[in-house]
Amino acid sequence: MKLQHALGGLEGLGPVDFEKNVFVEDWEKRIFGIHVALMGLSSSLRDSLPGYDPQAAGTTFRSTWTWADLRKGAEAMNPFDYFKFRYYEKWLGGISAYCVEQGYLSADELAQAAGQLHEGTGTPPSSGGAGIDDQVIRYLREGDSPRRGPATPRFPVGDTVLVADPPHGAHTRLPGYLRGHRGVIQSVAEGNYAYFCSTGGDGLGDPVPVYVVRFEPAEIWGDTAEAGPSPLYAELYEPYLLPATD
Amino acid sequence: MTQQFDYPPDREADSAAKVRALEALLIEKGVITPTTVDKVLGYFESEMTPLNGKKIVARAWVDPAFAELLANDTPAAIAQLDLPQGMAGAEGEHIAAVINQPGVHNLVICTLCSCFPWPVLGLPPYWYKDPTFRARAAREPRTVLTELGVPLDDTTEVRVWDASGHSRWFVVPARPAGTEGWTEEQLAGLVTTESMIGVAIVPPPPIEAGTAR
Repeated sequence: MKLQHALGGLEGLGPVDFEKNVFVEDWEKRIFGIHVALMGLSSSLRDSLPGYDPQAAGTTFRSTWTWADLRKGAEAMNPFDYFKFRYYEKWLGGISAYCVEQGYLSADELAQAAGQLHEGTGTPPSSGGAGIDDQVIRYLREGDSPRRGPATPRFPVGDTVLVADPPHGAHTRLPGYLRGHRGVIQSVAEGNYAYFCSTGGDGLGDPVPVYVVRFEPAEIWGDTAEAGPSPLYAELYEPYLLPATD
Repeated sequence: MTQQFDYPPDREADSAAKVRALEALLIEKGVITPTTVDKVLGYFESEMTPLNGKKIVARAWVDPAFAELLANDTPAAIAQLDLPQGMAGAEGEHIAAVINQPGVHNLVICTLCSCFPWPVLGLPPYWYKDPTFRARAAREPRTVLTELGVPLDDTTEVRVWDASGHSRWFVVPARPAGTEGWTEEQLAGLVTTESMIGVAIVPPPPIEAGTAR
């Protein structure tokens, strides 16, 4: 099991750093912008509901880059590094490695360009067309809803369910601290929902029903749960749920 | 920020050079243009900011029918307001409001990553993305809220929403006392990003000199 898959409930941590800024270094804005741009140019958007055609916008990008890809990178990190590096440092590492892996640039090119920029020489070249920018902004305005088809729920509101314990893969949307615990279906999503990629034995990918499940803290945390009513609601895909057989 | 690890002295300069190199190469290779990143940033600096959420909250405070619609069909309610185009765009496709009431306080977290309702709240502040917050808020929400300045009594129900699916939740905080007769614009000015995630309440406005009762 990866720490990043079961971060919720980790004990022994110190106070929360209540830093209210979105970015704490100017450079962080650039990697955020690159991430959004690649999402808006992802080849996977050809199958999106708005029917984008990123290639027609003029980009040379031919790969899929979604939240799932960014998350996979963070989930693949050494857990100590996950805590060591700031949020956008993880993004920079993950997105750079991906662009190299996909062949858009080489590690040597990147290191050489960074070295030049570090020394204050070298300037970013200029090229490109407006179609690329328009596509990225259109993606931001119209989004990429994963809703596909009517809901086909197996569980009705009020049913008690058991959270499954599927094999641990490279990527999951199942918060680890909920594995094996019982909750009650609070609401059923109106449609079925796909996921950006297949998560393998974990069960996501094709459109499935989605539920908001209510958990009581004592069920999750046992005797160490805080006093007072504090239900936790998690939105869970149907493959993560089993009937509770009591 | 707290330092638990050793970092090289040129930590930030090194990252800054790396990201500039990455952007420059992506431009050179025709993936993006020299203006793409700036346009993305401009979108979040001028249009998709917490001001949208503040306006939604202020309307809910003055219009009970809107508040009811917001609770039951959040996208339909948001669509009624004069907000920038794209409120149902990226990370706003499935927005859902959770409403604070007497005896009920909502807190939104994302233990797996940092899911956030961009069009309503803009981009997430650092604390929301902090692994320590994400880990602790799931297990000990009352302790975390007390540390962050929201002490709740034991009878108040704390509802914690862990955003692991498609929904992007935000909190409609309680309207503070002492704001009777205020305009929506005045009310919106009181609302904070933190209050719309659930780690702050909206405090009553200070009583101005000369208005003491």
